[in-house]
Amino acid sequence: MARVIQRLKSWEGMLLILLIGVIAFNAWQSPVYLSAQNFVNLFQLSIEKIIVALVMTFVIINGEIDLSVASMMGLAACMLAFLYKAGQPMVLAIVVALFIGLIGGAFNGFWVARAGLPSLAVTLATLIMFRGLARVLLEDRSIGDFPQWFDDLGQQTVIGPFTLSFLIFAVGLVVAIVVLHYTGFGRYVRVIGNSKDVARYSGVQVPRVKMILYSASGLVAALGGVLLAARLGAVRGSTAEGFELDIITIVLLGGVSIFGGTGSMFGVLLSILLILNLRNGMGLLNISGNAQTGVIGALLILSVLVPNIASRLRQSFRTRQAAQAPPPPAVGKAVSAE
Amino acid sequence: MGQTLRRHFRPEQIRELSLVFLILGVLVFFSTQIPNYLSPRFFNRIASDVAIIAVVAIGQTLVILTRNVDLSVGSIVGVTAYVVGTFLTGNHELHPVLAVAMAIAIGAVLGTINGVLIAYGRVPAIITTLGTLAIYRAALVELSGAKTVVIDAMPRWLQELPGVTLASFAGLDVRLLVLIALAAVIIFQLVLSFTNLGRRLYAVGSNPDGARFAGLPSEQVVFIAFVLCGALSGLAGFMFLARFGNITVVAAQGMELQVIAAVVVGGVAIFGGQGTIIGALLGALLINILQQSLIRWISISAFWIDALLGALILAAVAADALILGRLRNLWARSEVQMTEADEKRVVGADVPK
Amino acid sequence: MRGISKRFDTTQALEDVSLSLYPGEIHALLGENGAGKSTLIKIMTGVHPPDRGEIRLDEKPISLLNPIQAQTHGIAAIYQEPMVFPDLTVAENIFLTHRTRSPFVNWGRLYRDAEDILKQLDVKLDVRQPARGLTLAAQQTVEIAKAISLQVRVLIMDEPTASLSAHEVRQLFKLANTLRKQGVAILFISHRMEEVFEIADRVTVFRDGKWISTKPRVEVTPDGAIRDMVGREIHDLFAKTETARGETLLSVKNLGKERTFQGITFDVHRGEVVGLAGLVGARRTDVGLALFGVEPADVGEVVFAGKPVRITAPQQAMKIGIAYASEDRRALGLVMPMSVTENISLPMLREYLYGLGLINFGAEKKTAMQFRERLAIRTQTVDVPVAKLSGGNQQKVMLSKWLNVKPQLLILDEPTRGIDVGAKAEVHAMINELAEQGLGIILISSDMPEVMGMSDRIVVMREGRQMGIFTRAEATQETILAAAMGQG
Repeated sequence: MARVIQRLKSWEGMLLILLIGVIAFNAWQSPVYLSAQNFVNLFQLSIEKIIVALVMTFVIINGEIDLSVASMMGLAACMLAFLYKAGQPMVLAIVVALFIGLIGGAFNGFWVARAGLPSLAVTLATLIMFRGLARVLLEDRSIGDFPQWFDDLGQQTVIGPFTLSFLIFAVGLVVAIVVLHYTGFGRYVRVIGNSKDVARYSGVQVPRVKMILYSASGLVAALGGVLLAARLGAVRGSTAEGFELDIITIVLLGGVSIFGGTGSMFGVLLSILLILNLRNGMGLLNISGNAQTGVIGALLILSVLVPNIASRLRQSFRTRQAAQAPPPPAVGKAVSAE
Repeated sequence: MGQTLRRHFRPEQIRELSLVFLILGVLVFFSTQIPNYLSPRFFNRIASDVAIIAVVAIGQTLVILTRNVDLSVGSIVGVTAYVVGTFLTGNHELHPVLAVAMAIAIGAVLGTINGVLIAYGRVPAIITTLGTLAIYRAALVELSGAKTVVIDAMPRWLQELPGVTLASFAGLDVRLLVLIALAAVIIFQLVLSFTNLGRRLYAVGSNPDGARFAGLPSEQVVFIAFVLCGALSGLAGFMFLARFGNITVVAAQGMELQVIAAVVVGGVAIFGGQGTIIGALLGALLINILQQSLIRWISISAFWIDALLGALILAAVAADALILGRLRNLWARSEVQMTEADEKRVVGADVPK
Repeated sequence: MRGISKRFDTTQALEDVSLSLYPGEIHALLGENGAGKSTLIKIMTGVHPPDRGEIRLDEKPISLLNPIQAQTHGIAAIYQEPMVFPDLTVAENIFLTHRTRSPFVNWGRLYRDAEDILKQLDVKLDVRQPARGLTLAAQQTVEIAKAISLQVRVLIMDEPTASLSAHEVRQLFKLANTLRKQGVAILFISHRMEEVFEIADRVTVFRDGKWISTKPRVEVTPDGAIRDMVGREIHDLFAKTETARGETLLSVKNLGKERTFQGITFDVHRGEVVGLAGLVGARRTDVGLALFGVEPADVGEVVFAGKPVRITAPQQAMKIGIAYASEDRRALGLVMPMSVTENISLPMLREYLYGLGLINFGAEKKTAMQFRERLAIRTQTVDVPVAKLSGGNQQKVMLSKWLNVKPQLLILDEPTRGIDVGAKAEVHAMINELAEQGLGIILISSDMPEVMGMSDRIVVMREGRQMGIFTRAEATQETILAAAMGQG
């Protein structure tokens, strides 16, 4: 019992309680809410973001950040559309788009891991750069009319009610949990996030781990871009613009420390579910998309602020209690100036 | 020679000087590429654009110096421009000074919210301002009902404000808005260099733990930085309104990235403690000149702007880390060698037991 | 000013402790780690308010709720790691916390005043240069200048000499004596007994957050003080047992690294402890890092276990059997928020992986439990974060981590810095045991008795150069110090 309470007091516990509250509220609002179909629909609208969030979790636990993911999603989608429009077969276009993601991620990785530059600055630069390249490819055109099979990839269900994107997310989630919590690589990621120097002095190949993470981040972002193109059926230079903030919000709300070192995949999963259900619930109440984003922004701040205030209140309460206690009698061994 | 160089220039100043040369180099290059490049109109346009970015960049510099970041500036600019614009639509008789004061006050209030959460609520700046970026924008969209502020509904003085020119030399205008921005840059550079508050901004960013141990009012310093950043963004919001007139709810969206880019290119260290406002201004200038020039350069598509801008930021950061770091070490080492030499002399005199 | 009396009574870290300081005295405070010294400092400087008890200055109770209040009362502290601001100039660092009436900085006056204070201290430093790149000693001088500028009345020195060279320690003591004459009360905290006995007027001992004794120095003996600190006798603090010297394990010839060290030449035999002695700035740690491949050397030959090698990465060093335990436990040695198990297995994590990179948690934990047993690491479980352990136990976790690599050569960099006397003795016993098992050990230590007691041979370095090698028979404090100072 004590362990259960301990567990609930943790970040995950807090998210879980919030999540249950939101689901209960939504179910009360709408009778079809708890259907499998609705569950899938819930995911479908943000599926690319949450796939990318899985890798972002690793990057942030590693003590870095990748602001360029959304631009990479856009660049990959634009590359795909550009090649297809230029008469290349779709399959080749997909492969090249994914390859661009790998290269772009490795480019970030090079500057962060090998050159040792701050990732905030590097990925801010590539955020602008990748988006710029996407615009160079498509200029101000919008490209659609992809082959039917490609559009189906994004929209049709594959197994039961599940789309391909959802299945990729599900598999990706399992892989992410295993890699982060049960493999040597995941251990290295956390060690480096806690202390790069200790890792280096322990023979961990820090640049290599970071290089792998950034390459993976680029690759998965490109995959997200391709899936997004398939779901939307059309691509523009501004596709996926601003997604990075949503993705980072998901990860941070999941209890991953912005300073690196701590965080769990379970927390991120709860955060994903919470955000999706919350958005859906607000949708049921006819709250606009913009206001929903605002509410999630507030939730992000509160999720850090409330525990901070609580711990400070507890501390000051303890101090006051101590101050009110009667002073102890003078002790003989005291040496004083009197 | 090396010694005199070291006495007169600190690495930071060399960096700013190199930005000036880079800007001149860019101007010279494009003047050979684009006919009629160096026209007064071109410079007037750059000055008007940079004025807005520069004012926000001042605030961002103050915040980044303390080892924080404010991602919400774009939203603050948008909110201020929109709210002041809406208010002026219905109140044509409002005195211009009061309108500016109103903009600054709105910005300061939003900055205060950031500051309270970060400095006193101990929520990391990147989380807080990521949140308020969304919240401020959402509030704007909700309150406005997605309506647009139109220039025609503005009072006459505001419509004319962007063109108000105090003096003009050979077609180069000294415009009021540009002058305001320049005044702000100078004032805040003086604040950084010559006031206790300014030095404390550096101290807090340079060594946060040390600041706490030394009893510096770190929270207060960070708080003030965010309030000032908000107020300056408010001022920029007013300038944005004056310059563009038609304000939609997405006004200034994404401006935070442009501003941070300018500040980083200008040599303000992303981890605090280093940088100047003059540097940030030079960064904003360089970026804007490149943007304006590329639009007019027929050799490559104007769509290359962002791609090149990204590369420029990366180059600036890499140069800072690789070259400036080396310069600093050179400077520091020369000092250490001096002190070591002194020590040897003393050791020689002071026979150990 | 008659005197300052303080009475604290906090629940855990400090329990009903009283201490008084008189103007013009240097009062030494001794105690093992966890005795409550740091807590006392934090209370006196207003970083943490006390839960109970009172602090009196000139017989009047004062409240110290924040560092600024402490400063206005003239209480200042100097730490082992000075808290300078690298981007501000020396002068600014000195006057940063001053509250001037004007909100503006008068640079001319600032520089002049700073120069005056440094002159008063008889120190030459350019007040206009940024503090970035100053030596530790110079940074401490800046801190002392800062304290003086604040009209300090109570100066706390927390392990100020831990990273200073002998000459710098002299300078520091000279400063302390000057301040004493001016009527400043100094609270001097140090692990180095000989310094305490040289400079202190009175000596107070804390143990486990409790006050144990306060005596004039003349009435205190080192043995007695140690007895008070640990509550038990300790015999033979530093004693290397004689071990059979085996074949040559490591042979270093003319090792050098640009701007760092050069001409390092020595051998380590199996079963031998080779001490690396020298003052701060001797670049001993850099030699250790070069041999471990963290900061590889540029020139020179290294022969290890009969084969010539070029060590360029820690992974490679570990593979051939070299381990290096860093001097900086917190920043370079251990991942503080992670568990004992995770820390011990880290360098050898590959050995605990199944196929597909999955971790064998059982085997990992078993190893950790074995080391807990073998090194008597005092912790309930091996799953607790190392941050929760005491300094001595953390040191043992770090030793376990490197022993688990099963090295043939173990480089120990300041293995007993900042740990209490009991744990120190255990570490020394461990070193003996390892040498008996045939390991070669390089012991880098600034603790002179430790190096002399534990080493079979001592390599003395000074400013990146090797000054000589002494056998145990040849080595005396005087010869080694003379060599380390370039007087040999």
